[in-house]
Amino acid sequence: MPNCLVIEDDTETRDYLCSGLRAAGYAVQAETNGEAGNRRLQETRWDVVVLDRMLPGQVDGLGILEQMRARGDGTPVLILSALNSVDERVRGLRAGSDDYLTKPFVMSELLARVENLSRRNSWSREATVLQVADLQLDVRTMRVTRQGTTITLQPREFRLLEYLMRHEGQIVTRTMLLEGVWEYHFDPQTNVIDVQISRLRSKIDKDFSPALIHTVRGAGYVLSAAPTYGPVTR
Amino acid sequence: MARSPDSGRPGLRGSIAFRLAVGYGVLLAVSMATLSAIVYFGTVGVFEHSIDNKIMTVETHLADAWFRDGRIGLVREIDAQLHDLIDTDTEVVGLVDAKGRILAGNMGRWFGDLPASRELAFGRMERNGAPVSVRLIATRLEDGSRLVVGRDLIELDAIRTVVERALLISAAVSILLAFFGAQIFRSRLEARIGRIRRTTARIAAGELSSRIVVMGNDEFARLGDDINRMLDRIEALMEGVRHVSNSIAHDLRTPLSRVRSRLDRALQASADPHALVADARLAIEDIDSVISLFDKLLQIAALESGVRAGTFERLDLAAIAHDMTELYEAAAEEQGIALHFTGTPTTIRGDRDLLASALASLIDNAIKYGRNGGKVDVEVATVDGAPALTVRDYGQGVPPEDMDKLTRRFYRVDQSRHLPGNGLGLSIVTAITQLHEGTLALRRLEPGFEASMVFPRA
Repeated sequence: MPNCLVIEDDTETRDYLCSGLRAAGYAVQAETNGEAGNRRLQETRWDVVVLDRMLPGQVDGLGILEQMRARGDGTPVLILSALNSVDERVRGLRAGSDDYLTKPFVMSELLARVENLSRRNSWSREATVLQVADLQLDVRTMRVTRQGTTITLQPREFRLLEYLMRHEGQIVTRTMLLEGVWEYHFDPQTNVIDVQISRLRSKIDKDFSPALIHTVRGAGYVLSAAPTYGPVTR
Repeated sequence: MARSPDSGRPGLRGSIAFRLAVGYGVLLAVSMATLSAIVYFGTVGVFEHSIDNKIMTVETHLADAWFRDGRIGLVREIDAQLHDLIDTDTEVVGLVDAKGRILAGNMGRWFGDLPASRELAFGRMERNGAPVSVRLIATRLEDGSRLVVGRDLIELDAIRTVVERALLISAAVSILLAFFGAQIFRSRLEARIGRIRRTTARIAAGELSSRIVVMGNDEFARLGDDINRMLDRIEALMEGVRHVSNSIAHDLRTPLSRVRSRLDRALQASADPHALVADARLAIEDIDSVISLFDKLLQIAALESGVRAGTFERLDLAAIAHDMTELYEAAAEEQGIALHFTGTPTTIRGDRDLLASALASLIDNAIKYGRNGGKVDVEVATVDGAPALTVRDYGQGVPPEDMDKLTRRFYRVDQSRHLPGNGLGLSIVTAITQLHEGTLALRRLEPGFEASMVFPRA
């Protein structure tokens, strides 16, 4: 069971975070201020940290993060902030955070991102041949086969499938896809990502069984060999 | 608290009008003094000089007689001089021996010492029984006697008195004029400023539509014009704020009342867990739309404050346009629209994500509102050296009367109210373009509509 430290001063948000993360299978501990959080970070090894940007007391979120990175602590950190601006996001990422989410947030988005961070070490970026059930993708030759049949994909479709396969069994949200595949960070508002996924689906899943790409309502998509993907707590 | 214009009448020292008037008066007095000095020395001075010349001429003439014919000749010549009927009433001539006795001439008893030899000086002398002031020269002769030549200064004194009196009167008149002029000047200045102050006081009291009455084309008129222009701008901004808050209230009411009714229904039907879940989900969706509305408003505010320019970097506009075209291609095709990109690499300084989201918004609009046009063109080009990013559709376009309202917050063209959206898209695009020091040009075309982000020359 992966463990997760939540450092958040607002009681309501903290309880919401803790119950959501516990339901998703994390062992969760929470701290309410920067000093206590900093101590807790040094006592235990954590798989992932959810850190509020603004904290009462001497040390705020960015301060904690900078101290962690200065200590050589590479634990994945998701910054949670009410400050929604590109500048703030860039500052957070520069300070060494691995991801940045603004309040108010949707639990499914947060869970997908925490999951992505905590699993970061379990899947290998170096793997050149990815396999999910009977679907195979070779990064070097850019060849995709399913049940031995070669499937022709556009370059962007290929990268989309690669991203989904590298996050197998994990929910990826639309903004994660836009960031991970197109490398843009903004809210596309319309259904562009859905249309891209449905195109990919028609090539990967239409003529084959079982379907591998699943829609998770209100959250995003998951690529998984499991026939159905259970409802996501939100 | 705003000071009312009447309570704010400044003390004399604090009044700029008074200080200007005093300065003006002093300047006038100095120039009057200079003018008076010139007049005085031009009249009295010249007269004095001519007297001195006459004295010297007579003295030289008499001294010659002495050299030529001795004392006898001199006395004869003095007599002739006094009876030549020229200046006889002001001329003073005399021969005084070493003991101070008057030997010849018309001079009377003098007061004090005679001046040193061959030196013009002022002195006093008895003439016709009364002391008068004279200008005189005393020349010592070889036998110890002295030749005195001089002139009664009665004429000079008369002229001097007249000139001095005239100058004194004019000085008094000019000081009076300066004083009253300053008062008039001050009251006129205060009247002009008072008009402006009364207007600003009315505005401070909330009467925002009041304006300064501008007359003529002087400095105050121009100041009034400037203030009026500033007030127009403030009023327009206030109008905008009012419009925005009305729209926010309206746009929030709809989803919030939907949430409320759903939660209400969920409470009543709490026996059915499926209905509860469905209602909760819909309520969350509505709240999400409210949050996204706020996010957009905050984004516009943040963009307009311009703080983000710090993250700018050099980037290729065409690469972003290419990426966004590719991202939207499939969605456009579903709507029966062919999305097409043309352009060459064009470097500008900017924020990649902001530019991408602005372009995404323009493409989204073009697909949404240009649906029946069949195609949408995205183009990156350099027009007159200025990089431009253009999105053009071939749909039904925008009615001309709506053109200048398009970038207003929450503004939606009537015919598009049934389509999803909140009327903030073009406001955000405008804010992003302005953050990049560019302008957003919107044009009606036959057929269709074109939006162009034009950036400053590299």
